[in-house]
Amino acid sequence: MSVVHVMSLSTAAAEPWPEKATLYQPLKEDQILLSDSASSLAVQTFLRMCGLPVQVSCCANAEYMSPSGKVPFIHVGNQVVSELGPIVQFIKAKGHSLSDGLDDVQRAEMKAYMELVNNMLLTAELYIQWCDDYTATEISRPRYSSPYSWPLNHILAYQKQWEVQRKMNAIGWSGKSLEQVYEDVSQCCQALSQRLGTQPYFFNKQPTELDALVFGHLFTILTTQLTNDELAEKVKSYTNLLSFCHRIEHTYFKEHDRESQSGSPQSIVDIP
Amino acid sequence: MYFNKHLLWVKVLSWRCALGCCCMHTNMAEPMELLCWGGDWDLPSVHSDSLIVLAYAKFSGAKLAVKSIDWTWRTITASVPQLHYEGSTVTEPAQILNFLRKQRFNADYELTAKQGADTMAYIALLEEKLRPALLHTFWVDAENYVNLTRPWFTSHSPFPLNFFVPGRQASLALSRILLTKAESPLLNITEVEGKIYSEAKECLNLLSHRLGNFHFFFGDTPTSLDAFVFGHIAPLIKAPLPSGQLQKHLNQLDNLCQFCNTILKNYFTDASAEKRMDCSLMATHDPVDANLQKLTQLVNKESNLIEKMDDNLRSSPQHRHETKPSARASERNSPLLSKH
Repeated sequence: MSVVHVMSLSTAAAEPWPEKATLYQPLKEDQILLSDSASSLAVQTFLRMCGLPVQVSCCANAEYMSPSGKVPFIHVGNQVVSELGPIVQFIKAKGHSLSDGLDDVQRAEMKAYMELVNNMLLTAELYIQWCDDYTATEISRPRYSSPYSWPLNHILAYQKQWEVQRKMNAIGWSGKSLEQVYEDVSQCCQALSQRLGTQPYFFNKQPTELDALVFGHLFTILTTQLTNDELAEKVKSYTNLLSFCHRIEHTYFKEHDRESQSGSPQSIVDIP
Repeated sequence: MYFNKHLLWVKVLSWRCALGCCCMHTNMAEPMELLCWGGDWDLPSVHSDSLIVLAYAKFSGAKLAVKSIDWTWRTITASVPQLHYEGSTVTEPAQILNFLRKQRFNADYELTAKQGADTMAYIALLEEKLRPALLHTFWVDAENYVNLTRPWFTSHSPFPLNFFVPGRQASLALSRILLTKAESPLLNITEVEGKIYSEAKECLNLLSHRLGNFHFFFGDTPTSLDAFVFGHIAPLIKAPLPSGQLQKHLNQLDNLCQFCNTILKNYFTDASAEKRMDCSLMATHDPVDANLQKLTQLVNKESNLIEKMDDNLRSSPQHRHETKPSARASERNSPLLSKH
């Protein structure tokens, strides 16, 4: 599978970036959940940082259209690529890269921090959505199955929950309590905050895919209404991360807010 | 006086209840007890997570009473590694390291805040990128599993558990790989293999870049990150794997091999002596199981001989030749490096 993937990347490199590149994600108002919204925003931010235009299209069956089963995915020319990692490689094959100026040690650090975000923040988001009974019943299951009619909505929602719980079991998170998960999120944010320090971006002056990923997750956590505000509070306690999110939002999303309402992220300024 | 005696009695009682009838000493500050898998192939333990805890204990100066779970029923009941202290039990390497830090055995004392953050990030990198490939190499790859892993764990488990322990570990490893790396339910293990091995090789390269020419990842003293890296790569370097593409890749990264050998030489040279003492202590305290152990060993001896003959035929002579010169090279280089 990886050999085919590499070959398709090399053939794609010859074509320039088309006008009609599209990013697919689940329905924004009713269906999308915290973790998917974070991943989608990370990809959108990365594409904006590269200066590549993309249209965001919301479909109820985005998850099933995706080649790997995960959202978001982009449709460029006749290529379909999903998830931030492969998308970064695909765009690098097209000649756009944000991390070319980094040396080997810095690249190792960048990859390590991206894995930290995936390992801690994304897993914590999935845990809170699907393994916490109250959140799963009040928010996740109704939202995930909202486009479907009975009995499909029940079946799909429980199936997804069971899948996520199996994964949590396999990596050893099923024994954790909610407080421990919040504590892990807090430690992860502390590590990111210490790494960021007073710099504008993680690798000083230039944004990289790590900045896009961190922004995607933190912004979504700050602006999504869950059953309680504890997760957002954990992130808010780190002021340099808050100002980092403000900075990226104003730099890359300001003009889009004025153009259209649908598909644009909510501004942090509106949230008290 | 009465209060002190009372305290001592309460401590002894609670400690006895926690540990059962194993230990005989009754000193005031009882040592922390660690349960882990036994050692082989020049390593104090063949299990990655146990190695992490053992290495960290050596780095931070914590005195652990290491008890091997080989040939006991704990091979199937206990989740290893497990730390017992004053009635409380801690599992999982990260939590055990946290616990040791709270007991003031802290090897990360001199790290800056940024280095602490880097530690967390690199540990996440190891868990995400390297661990699936390690699990695959030892437990899912058919040749390695049948020729090395399964015979080793079978010969170190008591009858009748030797039929169940390796199979259970293998199925846990496979399910973990499939659930975390195979993103769609349609993919099976062969399609995921290529991806996890390429990610693992990339991870090893990144670690090698980060280590550079230094002894340890953060200067001259080892920290928890060194323990984690050591725990993951030491079995891969030392195990005589019949088919090890990841091992071949790792052997080309000289600084990581030297890192591993340095730690073994400086911190674990008397490990084999300690292990023999532990085994003899266990034998005197479990007279009932001694006969059973002897019978099991006799039964397994024949199959072990056959396995060993196969291993000698299969394992490449280059692998043995490579390890010897690198050990000599590290001895030659260490007086040069110590000048820095």
